Amino acid sequence: MTRSWPVIAAMFLTLGGLSAVAGYEMASPPAAQWREIAWPFPRDGWPAGRAFHCGVAECGAEVEVYLRPKLGFCNCDSGVADDDEVDRVSDVDMISPRFAPLKVGDVVDVAEMRGRIRAYDVGMPKEKRTAIGIALSHRCDLMAVAAQGGGDAARVQRATLTFLESQEIRKWMIAAMEGR
Amino acid sequence: MVACQERVFRRRYRRASVPHSQRRLAWEFGVVRMGGRVTAACCTFLLVLLANGASAQQKIGDPPEASNMRLVGTSDLQARSAYQPTIHHQGDRWIAYIGHHGGTDDIPDPVNPMTGKAEPNGTSIVDVTDPAHPKYLRHIPGQEGKYESGGAQMVRICDGKDLPKGDRNAVYMLRTFGSEAHEIWNVADPANPVLVTRIGGLKDTHKNFWECETGIAFLVSGAPDWRTRRMTQIYDLSDPAQPKKIRDFGLPGQEPGATGAVPTELHGPISTGPQGNRVYFGYGTNKGGFLQIVDRDKLLNGPKEPTPDNLKFPEIARMPLSAMNGAHTVFPMPGMPIAEFARDKDGKSRDIVMIVDEAIQNECGEARQMVWFADVTTEARPMMISNYTVPEASGAFCERGGRFGSHSSNESMAPVYYKKLAFIAFFNAGVRALDIRDPYHPREVGYFIPSITAATDRRCVTVDGKDRCKVAIQTNNVETDERGYIYAVDRANTGLHILELTGAARAVAGLP
Repeated sequence: MTRSWPVIAAMFLTLGGLSAVAGYEMASPPAAQWREIAWPFPRDGWPAGRAFHCGVAECGAEVEVYLRPKLGFCNCDSGVADDDEVDRVSDVDMISPRFAPLKVGDVVDVAEMRGRIRAYDVGMPKEKRTAIGIALSHRCDLMAVAAQGGGDAARVQRATLTFLESQEIRKWMIAAMEGR
Repeated sequence: MVACQERVFRRRYRRASVPHSQRRLAWEFGVVRMGGRVTAACCTFLLVLLANGASAQQKIGDPPEASNMRLVGTSDLQARSAYQPTIHHQGDRWIAYIGHHGGTDDIPDPVNPMTGKAEPNGTSIVDVTDPAHPKYLRHIPGQEGKYESGGAQMVRICDGKDLPKGDRNAVYMLRTFGSEAHEIWNVADPANPVLVTRIGGLKDTHKNFWECETGIAFLVSGAPDWRTRRMTQIYDLSDPAQPKKIRDFGLPGQEPGATGAVPTELHGPISTGPQGNRVYFGYGTNKGGFLQIVDRDKLLNGPKEPTPDNLKFPEIARMPLSAMNGAHTVFPMPGMPIAEFARDKDGKSRDIVMIVDEAIQNECGEARQMVWFADVTTEARPMMISNYTVPEASGAFCERGGRFGSHSSNESMAPVYYKKLAFIAFFNAGVRALDIRDPYHPREVGYFIPSITAATDRRCVTVDGKDRCKVAIQTNNVETDERGYIYAVDRANTGLHILELTGAARAVAGLP
């Protein structure tokens, strides 16, 4: 009995190690970088959505993303028509009522929804920040996404889109747009 | 306790693809298993509630539901989704002009039986001289497109003899043409309208207002360079054949070149003309908005370049609404004597604005949209004083299908009802008649919920990723004529219902 004890211990250690490696390899790297935080904005006409934070170490800059469905958008046929629509509906105004577009927006497809994406300079009291506004339409409804970060616009936009394409978030967005 | 169990029940069955009625039944059995007298009493109560809910859903063949209102006549309006009815006394005839939303997914272009052709929804012209037997005269097609993307939803009428430079023999109909234009037609012969002019190049339109005595028109438009879908373009239409642009108007932040947050879009204005010198603008729908009170003279004659300062110049007051409500109709009623204040040294009469929100979501999928009364006597400090909603439990309206909540009121200022009764379109709760003589305490005195027909379109909600549809009346807009008839039209294709008051409601109006 005393002679077999080290063998059993070694087996446990080996199996434990292998399990840890397998677990690490199977984990979804993008999702692990983001941490869900409380919805940081006061109540408005739409119910609160979900908010996420990504640190400098993982995203290269502090980035926060806010997303929520807006059911009853009404533009059933035309969808997100233009950049003005993104200015109006993407929730960037919740980050700051003073925002200025950096350039003309682009068409974007996320979670099988088509819409537009636009980058902004946001006038914050102490610092200049970048915001990203995304409006995605699904039948008569809308998914509004706003993001803000301290880095340049391209980096914040890249981090935001990568996050939105993660399996968990795609799944949630599709379910939310279906009223689930 | 019951509410708590209801929440638990909903959570438990949320992800299962079980029909709603079966879920309720399962919950009911769950309660029964608890046993005991309290449970039995609860179950009886719930069964009564469920029975009410089940019976509340309309079926073809059911009679209308009514109190102090009676159906006089109907027109099916060719089963087109209807928005604004405007009734005009034209010679010795009474003509109803009814604007339509676009077609539906199932029937984008209904067939006009008079021409045998499929026509995009536009404007229906109906002779209602004999309200018991309305006679459909003409359909003028609108813009191709479904729901709010097509049709010709808004319509206003002015006689040529009232307009300063109009043809005295003409009767002019101002209508929207889908989202792209405003049009003026001569409808002196309502069965044979003639297009007079068109103002195009827009990205949207909506609920216009036209002063017949001056010709000034407040056109709800989407000017291409403005940041909002709907703002105001003011035109001089005193000579309908020669429209003259006066200015563009909106809230600061909506103008071209602005940055930052964009204020809620316009729904519609109502002007009190040169005498009242006020224009009341309603912004928003169901998610925040404003009542804006504007000095009409400053608006028309002030600086016109759309800068933030110039847009603010004519504004007297802007009252923000809750983020859960918006303003579809803002109906002014200045100088209302308030009986309760009759012996007060000051404030015996009050200037009132009735604000009607618009419900958007089917089956109560949003905050309640209802009717509000604002005292604007001290114009710079408007104050909400009262409100009105249909009690949901009075008809299990959240269960019936379609929208439940307010949409619009009559806008006629004819003496028969002005400052006495208001009629509110309440979607699946039909038309509601309010005694508003004391606007601090508005009181429902009658209602009429039309029957559905084979033409009534379904309304769906998404449950667990699938459409669940119900058929219900969707009374959309309402108007009155000088004779006292009430005209309600249906968004779900059920047509026009011409009503009259009976009993106590009729007495409020002083009608024989």
